[in-house]
Amino acid sequence: MTKRDVALQLLRRGWVLTLGALAGLVIVYTRVAFFTPIESTQGPAQKIFYVHVSSAWASLGAFAVTGILSLLYLWRRDRKLDTVAEASAEVGLMFGVIMLTTGPIWGKVVWGTWWDWDAKLTSTLFLFLLFIGYTVLRGAVADLDTRARFSAVIGVLSLVLVPFIFLSVHMFRTLHPKPPVLRAGGPSMPAAMLITLLFSVFVFSVLYVGFVTLRYALAVLKELRAEEAAHGIS
Amino acid sequence: MGYPDNAVYAVAGYIIASAVILAYSVSLFLRIRNER
Repeated sequence: MTKRDVALQLLRRGWVLTLGALAGLVIVYTRVAFFTPIESTQGPAQKIFYVHVSSAWASLGAFAVTGILSLLYLWRRDRKLDTVAEASAEVGLMFGVIMLTTGPIWGKVVWGTWWDWDAKLTSTLFLFLLFIGYTVLRGAVADLDTRARFSAVIGVLSLVLVPFIFLSVHMFRTLHPKPPVLRAGGPSMPAAMLITLLFSVFVFSVLYVGFVTLRYALAVLKELRAEEAAHGIS
Repeated sequence: MGYPDNAVYAVAGYIIASAVILAYSVSLFLRIRNER
């Protein structure tokens, strides 16, 4: 199987996953709007929860995957690890934009303020900015090995920051609530809300895998074009 | 007692999320099409 065949196969799988997840997203929205109860004190605005938590899950998960792959790259020096890490970081930033816009919208309703510089929000913003730096760095270094090594060092930092973000609500007094599902004593919400949340998290996870597969295939296609250009094939 | 009238915040959140996901999907599609 040639490199082009591999890229085309990845593209097919990536589009199937992505389009499937986009269809799933329509089901999530329908379920949120018509089949999930309204929270009694916060009102309809609480329904942001289902997209905010899912995007936070996908974003922080993506950055954690980049961190693990970066660590593996520094150990194995396999360029594929770096390419997937880059794909995961880019998709993580996209989900991060959703997390960092839906959070303040919800916060304005329940806290009365768009933002608070507490431990969780500040460290999440810091992680997001760190990965913007990661992306800028990748664009600034031309040598592939140097770029992979430098960005892997930044990527590894997420392995410290992501667990810190999860633990920050337990370690500090924050406006941000503690996780309603992953907590001692089980989830603290009605079954209808929990099912919607879990389905939404599942759909966002599939969307993440679909986007990363497509982004990786794109990187392989770019590599192919560069190789062909080097060999004088138009 | 009724619910607070704040559905507009939820709608805004879902519109932004959809726009970001759609924009990224289109960006991937165009970048892939340019490379093929």
